[in-house]
Amino acid sequence: MELQILLSIAAILFCVGIYGVISRRNAIGVLLSLELMANAVNLNLVIFARYGDGAVGQAFTLFAIALTVAEVVVGLALVVLLYRTRHDVLTELASDLKR
Amino acid sequence: MTPLILALIAVFAPLIVATLLVIVRPLRNTGKPAAGLSVIGAVASLVASLALFWQSVTGHVDVLQEVMWLPEGGYPMATIGVQLDGISVSMLVVVSLVATCVQVFSLEYMDSETDADYGRYFTWQSLFLFTMQGLVVSPNLLQLFICWELVGLCSYLLIGFYWQKPSAARAAVKAFWITKFADMGLLLGLIVQYVHTGGFGWDDTIVAGLASAGMVNVVAAMYFFAVMGKSAQFPLHVWLPDAMEGPTPVSALLHAATMVAAGVYLIVRAYPIFLAAEQVMPVMACIGGVTAFLAACMAIVQTDIKKVLAYSTCSQLGYMVAALGGGSLMGGYFHLTTHAFFKALLFLAAGSVIHAIHSNEISDMGGLWNRMKLTTVVFVIGSLALAGIPLLSGFYSKDLILESLYEATHHDPIYWIPFIACTVTAGLTAYYMGRVILLAFFGEESEKVSHAHEHGLAMSGPLVLLATLAVFAGFGGGQLGHLYGVHDYHFSVLHVTPVGGLAFLMALSGFGGAYALHTAGMGEGLKTSLVPLGDFIKSGPVDRIWVAIYRQVLHGVADALGWFDRYIIDGLINAFGAWCLNFGEQIRGMQTGRINDYMHVVLMAILILAAVSQVWLRMGGA
Amino acid sequence: MLFAGLIGTSAALLLCAVMVATTRNLVHCVFWLAGVLLLTAALFVMLGAPFLAGIQVVLYTGGVITLMLFGVMLTQRKPDTEVPMDSQRKGPAAVTALAMLCVLLAAIWETPELAGMTVSTQQIGATEVGQIFLSTQLLTFEVLSVLLLSAMIGAIVLVRKTDP
Repeated sequence: MELQILLSIAAILFCVGIYGVISRRNAIGVLLSLELMANAVNLNLVIFARYGDGAVGQAFTLFAIALTVAEVVVGLALVVLLYRTRHDVLTELASDLKR
Repeated sequence: MTPLILALIAVFAPLIVATLLVIVRPLRNTGKPAAGLSVIGAVASLVASLALFWQSVTGHVDVLQEVMWLPEGGYPMATIGVQLDGISVSMLVVVSLVATCVQVFSLEYMDSETDADYGRYFTWQSLFLFTMQGLVVSPNLLQLFICWELVGLCSYLLIGFYWQKPSAARAAVKAFWITKFADMGLLLGLIVQYVHTGGFGWDDTIVAGLASAGMVNVVAAMYFFAVMGKSAQFPLHVWLPDAMEGPTPVSALLHAATMVAAGVYLIVRAYPIFLAAEQVMPVMACIGGVTAFLAACMAIVQTDIKKVLAYSTCSQLGYMVAALGGGSLMGGYFHLTTHAFFKALLFLAAGSVIHAIHSNEISDMGGLWNRMKLTTVVFVIGSLALAGIPLLSGFYSKDLILESLYEATHHDPIYWIPFIACTVTAGLTAYYMGRVILLAFFGEESEKVSHAHEHGLAMSGPLVLLATLAVFAGFGGGQLGHLYGVHDYHFSVLHVTPVGGLAFLMALSGFGGAYALHTAGMGEGLKTSLVPLGDFIKSGPVDRIWVAIYRQVLHGVADALGWFDRYIIDGLINAFGAWCLNFGEQIRGMQTGRINDYMHVVLMAILILAAVSQVWLRMGGA
Repeated sequence: MLFAGLIGTSAALLLCAVMVATTRNLVHCVFWLAGVLLLTAALFVMLGAPFLAGIQVVLYTGGVITLMLFGVMLTQRKPDTEVPMDSQRKGPAAVTALAMLCVLLAAIWETPELAGMTVSTQQIGATEVGQIFLSTQLLTFEVLSVLLLSAMIGAIVLVRKTDP
């Protein structure tokens, strides 16, 4: 019961992240919402670590954190590149593949 | 030589020539050598036919050789082959003889054409001879139908020989159209016959099969419809005058002697079927009689010599059809033979005149007797034969027809119609031929005639030959009767009967009338009072009706169908295509280019997958 | 007691998260994210992962937030940027998010195995995690380091100014 409540909290966090990713126009806003989703995942892992094999669970969480950080780094590099060409970072400016 | 081999030579020699000339274009374009080749083919056919005829007369030829053609379940559905008996053998001779005369005549008649056209003309002539001979030897109606259509094709090609002339091209199409329309009857008749009897022949089993199915009259009526088209019976006669656009030798061969006779030949061949169709026979006779009378009326008012002869042909075909309708096979077939000779003679003589003065109109002629004696003599002989003057060939055949019609009136009074029509027409025939002779050959010499002169042997020879036949062919009546298998015909040279006497009287009065009106200058009042009638007849009322039907009805239906095809059928397809394109355009809108939307799609996919797996798990899936 | 703390922190966490997803002002958004991350660290502590909480604070709140702030700074069009929210996508986004939530909640609450799981009494600290890294998960550890290296190099290569 407690487990399920905690998992629900992580799930809600994840869905808030989804809402943000889809609806934000600014690229950095999208990245921030993406962070929320990643965070929810980490939280989920830690919750399960408490109820199962804790060490492996936390190690897994550490991996996830490291990966997320790497992804943020590259993502921001791309955002900076986008800014250089368009002088603004709205996502619709990166839509050259349309048609 | 066996009859079969002779028959094959008679049929295929012209085909070999025709194929050679069609395929090898340089040969065709040489002109005179191509013509020579064609004549050789015709002569070969003629010699073979004469040999066959000789064998028939001295011995007895009855050959039926068939080859399976369309297989159906192990049995032949249709066969093609050769049937040689008295009827087909005599027709082989008639066709090849007239064809040879015409081809030889054409050697000189057509010599003003270019070499290429000259070669083309003889190619089609050879092809026609093959198709006609093939028709004659057909053992069943299916092969006859095939050759019938091929003959129609050759007619089209030859009528449209001067295709650069719009009137000639239209005439060719008109002939083809009308005969094709009538041929639907033959096709439908074949289908009905096959459905009910499983065969295409005309022997007793077929007749019995049709009778038991109650279809004899239907089938016979359908076949007669096709005959009406091919043999120019009223009201489908309208193509024959237009067919005169073709070269005159073509008119002589196809539209006097042979092709138009093919209809009569069909009736003769399939006579057992017709004899059993008691309701169709009187109709045939009446239509024949009406055709004979109306066509003769139209011939009276024509100014073009070829048109006079064309209507005359139409009229004589009416005689043959009436005879066959009256139950006299001998009458119809004998007249076909004699008519072939004297009508071809008349046409070729007319051709001789046309070639000399370069005009078809009677008004341009006059006093030809002074310049072209041979032509005048043979033309007169042909006219006398046509009118049925005693001792000439036409007399015996025409009298036979009238007598058999008179006989028929005894057991069915409806036959009075064709009898009276044909008898009166005898007088009209003499009248219009007399008119032509008096106006064209006698009287004052016209300006064009003063430059006219007789032609060479190539043109004169056939004229003499045909004239001889026109005189003497009638005496072979008894022998022909035996050949045809007719046993109640007794030929006698001095054939005197009341009917015959009446016919002779009509002929004399016809000639007398012609003389009175055109030479002696009598009856001016009569002439002027009949002018409105003459003009009406000349305007071709039946033709105008057909043209109106063609233009308004046929084109109207075609336009309506075209509209339906363009707007409804094509419209549906185009609408579907447009909808597809439109739909594609709308779907394209999904590609916005924004990564948010793409992520949205991915998330939705994951969502659906998760939902499905949850449902599946709940439902107890593994 | 612990449970009440969990619930309270979670509530605050979710509040901050909603602000992250909806704030117009980008800088405010970054700070709300900082809040989320810190509260997550607190949750980690309450869930018995103190080492991880430390990592979370250092890496995420320290590193990622700083990076984001720099990013915002470097890419603003005018000071104090107003980020207009796309009105066309709010509806579908909400729908998808709610749908996903339903599916996830269904998964969580309908799986019978989850009801019976109990808390493990282990105390996990840095030592235990480190031992895992250097024994059973050694390969992953090494690969991760390579990954981080390549991410760094990649980022540098992407944004360097090439001399003309």
